[in-house]
Amino acid sequence: MSQVKGKVLKHAGQTRLMHWIHLICFVILGITGLGFYFKIITIDYIFGGIGNASVVHRWLGVVFTVGPLLYILTNFGRFSRFIDTISTFTKDDFKWLKTMGGYIPGLKGEVPPQDKYNAGQKLLGWLVIICCFLFFVTGFPMWLWRHAMPPQLLGLCYDIHFWDAVIAILAVAGHFFLAAIHPKSRVEFASMMTNGYVEAAVSAHHNEKWFATLQNDSELKA
Amino acid sequence: MRAVEIIEITDNCKSCDHCSSICPTGAITGKLGQKHDINHQKCINCGQCLINCPFNAIQDLNQINKVKQALDDSQKYVVVQTAPAVRVALGEEFGLAPGTSVKGKMFAALRKLGFDQVYDTEFTADLTIMEEGTELIERILRQKGPLPQFTSCCPAWIKYAEDRYPKILPYISSAKSPQQMFGAVAKTYAAQKLNVKPADMYSVSVMPCTAKKYECDRPEMIASGYQDVDVVITTRELAQMIKTAGIDFLNLAEEEADRLIGSSTGAATIFGATGGVMEAALRTAYELLSGETLGKVDFHTVRGLKPVREATVNIPIKELGQTVPVNVGIVTGLKHVDSVIVDVLAGRSKYHFIEVMNCPGGCVNGGGQPIRHD
Repeated sequence: MSQVKGKVLKHAGQTRLMHWIHLICFVILGITGLGFYFKIITIDYIFGGIGNASVVHRWLGVVFTVGPLLYILTNFGRFSRFIDTISTFTKDDFKWLKTMGGYIPGLKGEVPPQDKYNAGQKLLGWLVIICCFLFFVTGFPMWLWRHAMPPQLLGLCYDIHFWDAVIAILAVAGHFFLAAIHPKSRVEFASMMTNGYVEAAVSAHHNEKWFATLQNDSELKA
Repeated sequence: MRAVEIIEITDNCKSCDHCSSICPTGAITGKLGQKHDINHQKCINCGQCLINCPFNAIQDLNQINKVKQALDDSQKYVVVQTAPAVRVALGEEFGLAPGTSVKGKMFAALRKLGFDQVYDTEFTADLTIMEEGTELIERILRQKGPLPQFTSCCPAWIKYAEDRYPKILPYISSAKSPQQMFGAVAKTYAAQKLNVKPADMYSVSVMPCTAKKYECDRPEMIASGYQDVDVVITTRELAQMIKTAGIDFLNLAEEEADRLIGSSTGAATIFGATGGVMEAALRTAYELLSGETLGKVDFHTVRGLKPVREATVNIPIKELGQTVPVNVGIVTGLKHVDSVIVDVLAGRSKYHFIEVMNCPGGCVNGGGQPIRHD
């Protein structure tokens, strides 16, 4: 581990707010969605019956859509940099994937230096974007155009929406494990969920390339 | 009207709410996200919700066991009729392209299933045409009933009229539908000719329509003293019976319907498409009124798929010595019939004859047809 002192701001306030909103929406959307699909009446009762659970699911879907859109509009530069980062795959990223960043026992090898997000987080970023896009393009027609759509297309929307949810839930579960539970990386949890800072030493170790690019000392907190 | 549970929404309902927009009577209740239910008092049993359900979560009353029991009963003489729209859809259940006529194979399959007599509803579709055509003439020339005259073949339309517009009933033709005429003829004329007691005859009907299951069970349909049509199965159910029996349907040799009440004209064949009843009736009315044989039998103006269509046919009436324009209207889809009825009841209608069918495009798209989600 590096001997670097101090803290570094990794996640800005609006990013953290958007993450919180998306997280809360995702959890409730996931719970209600699974309740509908598997007809788990207990879940419906929590929300006051299946009719109300459906209303909650739909309107949280609106928040789930509008939240990130507002964030993008008000933080376009930050979002652009995020997209730029997760779109850039170097040899180091592929090497990271070969060793899975050292997270999986048995996969030996040197873990190469990483950007602000490691290769796994980059893939997750794209997966989340694609999953959200599929939720939007299937969810809103299921709600708003359910009477106008051909039945086969409506059925297809339901199938895509469900399998999209399965993939997203599994991905987010993995993300949660690595960010909140795994001893090597759980410092990320406090950063994203509280004040946005991580120990500079941790950042220098896990995000060496990004850390090296930090020019503005004001981002370092003593 | 009686509330008979022909159509049911099963527990597989995904609560997508698509069906509530399909239902022409608002009989389906339930919010988006809630399992839907059917108000059977309001339901006209058309089955359009069933064939349009994205998840196959809606079912009709399965009658296969009743047919099998009758076929297994040595005391029963089982006759079957098949509607025109069945033969062009049954093949889809066996991988053939939509619209492929499997008439000959269907008759062969029905015999293999054990039916004693295999007939064609086209025979009584012709009778319906004669009845409706003659009735129209009587209404036009001798004022024996109000005008316009509505067709009476579609049982979903009849229940809709009974439930919503009882004042329109005198305008509807008094002729039974081809299915019910067949049932009556089978248990009277045919039973006599075949030397079978009506009590021992079991009359099965294969229809593209789930509302026919309701129609056959109407208490007034007992012309022979017995229920004229004992049971109705759909095109889907017939396909299921053929498959269950292990019949190699595609390789069956073509056969004909039994002759006694199995022959028909081309007019009967077009009954299953929207405008078909109208066109067939016009052919009859034209010939009866003019005393001339039609050289060209097609009335193209009444064909098409627009929900409401109209045409004027000039018919030379021999009795009057003049040509009279007959205005006809065709409605396909009951969501489009309300304004037509309102005009009739207000005395504003320009029509003499109106064909109404519930299912879009006619019986070929009935609720008993193969379900296609391609």
